[in-house]
Amino acid sequence: MSLWVDKYRPRELTKLDFHKEQAENLRNLCKQSDFPHLMFYGPSGAGKKTRIMCLLREMYGAGVERLRSETMTFTTPSNRKVEVMTVSSNYHLEVNPSDAGMYDRTVVIDLIKQVAQTHQIEINGQREFKVIVISEGDELTKDAQHALRRTMEKYVATCRIIMSVNSTSRIIPAIRSRCLGIRVAAPSEAEMTAILQSTCKREGLVLPVELAKRVVDKSERNLRRALLMLEAAKVAKSPFTAQQEIPDLDWQVFLRETASQIISEQTPAKLEKIRDRLYELLTQGVPPNLIFRGLVEHLVNNCDMSIKAKTLELATEYEHRMQNGAKHIFHLEAFVAQFMSIYKKFTSELLMDEF
Amino acid sequence: MSARKKTWITSAFSEFNLTPTTVDSEGAPAKRTRSAPSAATKTRSKQNGNSTLTLPTASVDLTADKDDDKEESEGCRQPPPTLRANWMDSFSPTSSEELAVHSKKIGELRDWLRHCEAVRRKAPAQMCLLTGPTGAGKTATLRVLAKEFGYQLQEWINPVDCEVVNALGDQRNGESYTGSHLEAFRSFLLRASRYKSLLDAQNKRLLLVEDFPNILLSDSEANFDELLEQYSESGKSPLVFIVADAKSRGLNISYKLFPEQVKAKHRIEHISFNSIAATIMQKSMKTFCAIMQQKENKALYKVPPSTVVDSIVVGAQGDIRNALINLHLSSMKGVPNMPTKELNVSVASKGRKRKTQSTLKSIGRDESITVMHALGRVMNPKFTENKRLQHSPEVLTEAFRTEPRNFVNFIHANYLPHFREIEDVVPAIHDLGLADCMLNEYREDALSLMGLNIAIRGSMLANSAPVSGWMPIRGPKRINWQPLATLAEQKLLGTRYAGTSKGIYATEYKSFVKCIAAKRPEEMPTEIELSIED
Repeated sequence: MSLWVDKYRPRELTKLDFHKEQAENLRNLCKQSDFPHLMFYGPSGAGKKTRIMCLLREMYGAGVERLRSETMTFTTPSNRKVEVMTVSSNYHLEVNPSDAGMYDRTVVIDLIKQVAQTHQIEINGQREFKVIVISEGDELTKDAQHALRRTMEKYVATCRIIMSVNSTSRIIPAIRSRCLGIRVAAPSEAEMTAILQSTCKREGLVLPVELAKRVVDKSERNLRRALLMLEAAKVAKSPFTAQQEIPDLDWQVFLRETASQIISEQTPAKLEKIRDRLYELLTQGVPPNLIFRGLVEHLVNNCDMSIKAKTLELATEYEHRMQNGAKHIFHLEAFVAQFMSIYKKFTSELLMDEF
Repeated sequence: MSARKKTWITSAFSEFNLTPTTVDSEGAPAKRTRSAPSAATKTRSKQNGNSTLTLPTASVDLTADKDDDKEESEGCRQPPPTLRANWMDSFSPTSSEELAVHSKKIGELRDWLRHCEAVRRKAPAQMCLLTGPTGAGKTATLRVLAKEFGYQLQEWINPVDCEVVNALGDQRNGESYTGSHLEAFRSFLLRASRYKSLLDAQNKRLLLVEDFPNILLSDSEANFDELLEQYSESGKSPLVFIVADAKSRGLNISYKLFPEQVKAKHRIEHISFNSIAATIMQKSMKTFCAIMQQKENKALYKVPPSTVVDSIVVGAQGDIRNALINLHLSSMKGVPNMPTKELNVSVASKGRKRKTQSTLKSIGRDESITVMHALGRVMNPKFTENKRLQHSPEVLTEAFRTEPRNFVNFIHANYLPHFREIEDVVPAIHDLGLADCMLNEYREDALSLMGLNIAIRGSMLANSAPVSGWMPIRGPKRINWQPLATLAEQKLLGTRYAGTSKGIYATEYKSFVKCIAAKRPEEMPTEIELSIED
């Protein structure tokens, strides 16, 4: 039994639950023999990947669902071996080059060359190109993106690229202009509730309206998160009740605690403990920008109005630096130190005023 | 061609070593083996004496180190009555008491040789790895002990041209190919241990590899492990590898060629030498001066003033070979005393008042500074009376310019405990962050140096009141991805797992999948079936 998220994932464009008009457009796109490089963008859990798979199925038939996963090895110019996991069918290949970290450029170039240099064997009735799906394209380094730009043009006859990105702002303009952008907005709350209800119905479960609303609220309009949350809740307590507890994301809880620790004490010793906690989050694989964002949200919610603006200003500065630098922890730590410093100043002034 | 062939053969079997010296002087460069000092080095030193005192070759250098050691401990015993042209050679240690190496290390090596002796019949191919900084007396110790145990030392020296080797072997028409160095090395290992020299009475041989064929280091296909395997099966005599320590891992042969599992697999004894302590070095310098004052040497040498000798010891930093060379230069007659400069470190000398150290101004090694040392200077900056930094950040920067990233990481890992106030931390970490951004810019070389400088200055100056006390230094943390999902969790996800990026998995799936997978282990079999259907 696979996860609900995968089990009830729509397989065809006609069966999508929301953005139906857009689905129709995508179908029309497939009817032509050729189509441009695509870039699906939208928040996490909005259904970008689902739409990509539906689109591929529309083009190539059910064959694209015969997936095999494979670990590919690439050799960087500095002779280091990088392993990247890929999922592929006969018609497409899905890869997440950002998993290769700073070596993603090699992965992008080599992979596309490998795929693009071979033509489809079966020609009749098929498209004459393969598709490379690049997930999390916005995590690619600038270098890799520039490399991609060139290869995109060179091998346009034999391969198309579909990128899935969260934000187009981190994609270089050269690539943005070469792709047809398709925005996949997060589903509305009503749509999400409907999907949760229908899922439970197909599972033979009764979902109280109130619980559905709470799950939707908690998931921040992230459908994947909502479904996983619901399934985890079901495992915890099988017949649903309206007030039952919904499991949290571990790292968010952890981050919230970290933020409250920052508020509680502002000393170098504490900063060191915070650093250890941040390290732990990073080793778990939580992306640093999410850590940064979560931290800022919690801190801003918990501090006085007068220092909120300053906090945000500092956050923007250090976030920018984090994007430019290599050691994320430096900049996270720098932000925490700055916040501690202004918060300490603020509280001491408050004490002075009282006297 | 044939003449060249001959040299190679002779060297490999080390029997004709005395005869082909003439060939040697003619200039055939491909001499690969150097036989025990008793035979070959003597002839060579004679040659050297005949010609000039130019570079006494690497081997002579090494023995020179030993000389120092020996002299320091021995003192009055001074065997060479004649004035030798090879200055270094005359001082090489002849017995283990004369070595400057710590007696414990000598003991370790001696134990190993004893062990070799004990198992000579059953397992002759014992292996040993000596590591240590340059000039710590590794080779010297080995030579002395080999002599003591009656071993004939045969050393591998990288051939200058591999064409010779090719023409010799069974391959067609002498064309060169890349494997030849390796082939030659292999045949040295396997054959040199087997056949004894006709001219040498000693029938115990000890192979020494100090000069590693480059191919072993650069080419991953050259399988060193396999070579060791072959040797331990069919080798006939003990084999010693000598490797000098290198700072960076990329250059570190002992790290590259002898990883732990290889050492464990072939039971390679690893003895690591330390650099020679200043006190021992001082002593050896004194003995050395005494030797120079003996009557046969007096004509040539004068005794350098004690400040110069002290400076030599300081400047050599545990490298006795270097110290000896410097001493030689400073004790030549007709050479003015070498200028010294004061170091701004003062050292407490036994119970007496502190005296300032000085080092040679123009000669000797640059003061190399360890990471630990430099970190101490950064974390607890000292100021002179006029409020200036005692250790200039520029000097520290210069010392680590080859590995700026590493040093910045070290600062980051260690700076926090030294701070008292969070307000002080802010500028320090701000500068570290700036340094990080600058180091990341690889297109401009100068930026990395500037970045390092900013990081160093930032953390030196930001701290208004450093916390003093004992604080152990920690290495920078590396972020290792933990394996993200357990097997059960992976099964639950099926092929999806491979398609999900680490970040998405960690943030979105992990916590939920964990509870889902934990709660229903009994359903696992059906899950597998279903995923196959998919």
